[in-house]
Amino acid sequence: MIDKEFQVGRVLRASTRGFAIGCAVMQPDIPAFGSFVKAELEASGQLIYGLIYDVRVEDDPFVRQFIGANPPDEVVLDQRENRQVPIEVEILAVGCGQGDVIRHCLPSQPPVTLDWLYQCTDEEVRAFTNRFDYFRLILEAREAPSDELLASSVRTAAAARPEGEREAFLVDAGRELVRLLARDPSRLEGILRRLRA
Amino acid sequence: MTLELSQLTEHVKTMGETVAQRHRTRADLISLARRWLTDYADRAEALRVRARAEGVAVPAESALDAVHALPEMPERYTVVGADGSQIQPDRHGAALYYVINIGSLVYRHGSGQAPEARSEAMLGFREDDLYENGTPVAGNLLDVRRDLAELRRLADACESEQPGPVIALADGPITLWVLKDLPGGARKAKVTAHLDQLDRIQRAGGIVGGFVSRPGSKEVTRLLHLVHTLSDDAKKSELPNPLELLADRAVFATLPAGARSALFISPKEINEQYYAPRGHEAHFFYVNLAKGESDPVVARVEVPAWVAREEQGVDIIHAVVVAQARIAGDYPYVLARADELAYVSGRERAALESMVLSSLMSAGVHSSLSPKAHYKRLTRQGF
Repeated sequence: MIDKEFQVGRVLRASTRGFAIGCAVMQPDIPAFGSFVKAELEASGQLIYGLIYDVRVEDDPFVRQFIGANPPDEVVLDQRENRQVPIEVEILAVGCGQGDVIRHCLPSQPPVTLDWLYQCTDEEVRAFTNRFDYFRLILEAREAPSDELLASSVRTAAAARPEGEREAFLVDAGRELVRLLARDPSRLEGILRRLRA
Repeated sequence: MTLELSQLTEHVKTMGETVAQRHRTRADLISLARRWLTDYADRAEALRVRARAEGVAVPAESALDAVHALPEMPERYTVVGADGSQIQPDRHGAALYYVINIGSLVYRHGSGQAPEARSEAMLGFREDDLYENGTPVAGNLLDVRRDLAELRRLADACESEQPGPVIALADGPITLWVLKDLPGGARKAKVTAHLDQLDRIQRAGGIVGGFVSRPGSKEVTRLLHLVHTLSDDAKKSELPNPLELLADRAVFATLPAGARSALFISPKEINEQYYAPRGHEAHFFYVNLAKGESDPVVARVEVPAWVAREEQGVDIIHAVVVAQARIAGDYPYVLARADELAYVSGRERAALESMVLSSLMSAGVHSSLSPKAHYKRLTRQGF
C-alpha cells in the first residue's frame, strides 16, 4: 500500500530508461535532485524505482508579467510563498520491484501517462541501497549528469540511515566505485570529491 | 469529433471584414456620443428625475463630463479581493451535489508581509441545499449563493483587519443579480442577505467596491441620447437611439491615464427598489487604468451611496483600483489571485467525484454515472 502523502506528481511521458512528471507545488515542497522515487504499474503491481536528475520550473504566464515590472514586495512574497510553482521533474529509472524483491535493472515496461510518482520513504531507500548494482545504470546514463547524480544519491541514501551506520555505508559505496571505475581514476576522484563535499 | 476548421475559413474571412466595417461605423458613433457628453455636460441637475423615470444612468455630479485625476495613494492600506467558482449539480453524476469555492487575498500594501491567500470550499448535498421551494439550486440560484458567499468573505475580512483603510473589492457589480420570477419573497430575502453583508462592511469601516472589467453597460450612452432628445437640436433621424449598441466605455476612452469619470447612479430596478432604501444605492464611475501613453483600458467601478458621498472614499477606491491593476496588467492583482484561488480544475473535479463515489460505496450505496456521462467521459478523455 503506497502512502499518498508522498505523492510527487503524475507521469507526463515515459520510457523504460526514465520518465518525466509534471506537478504544481509550493516552493518548500519542490522535489530535490538525487531523491529516490517510485511509480507503481497498476496492471502488474510492479514498482519502478528512479532518481530525480532534473527539476525544472516551468514558464508561468502570470509570473511572466512581473518580470521587469519591479512589483511591490508583497507581490513577490505572494508569488513565492502562496502560489504553487509548476515544475517538471525528470527521473532516471534505476530499478524495479515486486513484493519484497528489488532488482537493480531497467524495468520491462515504463509507467503510463498519469500514473502517480511517489517519494520513497527512508525505509525504502535503505532497502533499495542495500546493494550498489544501480551505480552502473547511473554511470552509463547519458541523459543525466551522472557523476553528480551518483554522489547525490549516495548522500541521500546515507542520510536515510541511522547516524552510526552512515560512515560504514559511505565507505562501502566508495569501495564499489573504486571497483567500477578502476580504469578511470580521474572520474573516480571527481565522484569521491563530490561525496566528501 | 473535431472542429473542421476548413468549413469555417470563408465565414471567418467574412467575419473579419464585417467587424472592420462595424469598427468604422462605431468610430462615428463614438464621436457623436462624446460631442453630446460635452455639449450637454451642464444638464446633469435638470436630468435627474427624468433619467430615473427613463431607466438610464442618473447623474450624481454637476458636470456630466467631469474628469478626476488619479488621486494620491495612501502609503499603507489593505485591499481584499474575493471571487468564487462553483461546480454545478449534475443529474448525470454519481450523486447530486454542488460545490462553491471562494478564493480571497488580503493584501496589506506597505507592510512588507506576504498576502493572506485563502480558498474556502462548501459542499451542498442536503435536501435544503439542493432545492428551494421545489426548484433545484442551479444556474442563477447557485450564482446568487456564490455571490453572497463572496461578499460574506469580504465582510469577514473587513471585520478582522486592523483599523486603517480597508478596501473590499468584489469582481462585478455590487448589486445582486436575482431572477425576478422567484416565488414568494425569495428574491427579497436574497437581496436582504446581500444588503446585510454591505451593512457589516460599512460598520467595520471598510470601503467596498465592485470592479467590472471591459464593461458592456450602455446606461450613460442612453442618458446622452435622452438629453439630446430633450434638446432643440434633436432630429427625427436620431430616433431611435443611434447609440443603442454603444457601450459607455467607448465614450470614456478619452479619460487621461489613471483618471476617472463623473459619478452616476445605476438605473437598475433592483437598485432603486432595495439598495437605495437601505443606503447602499449603487453609484459608478469609469476609470482609465492605462499607464502613460498606452492604449486606454476602461473599467467600471461600482460603490454604494455611503462611499460615493465621501469624496475621500471614492478617491481611495479609485487610487487603489488603479494601483492594483497596474501590478497585474489592467486587472486588480487581488482579484486575479482570488480568481486563481477559487478556480476548480478538471483534475480536482475528477478527484472530488472519485471521493464522492468512494464515500457512497463505504456507506453501502451503489451509484454510478448515467450512461450519457459515462460515454462522454470515455470519448473526451485520452490522447
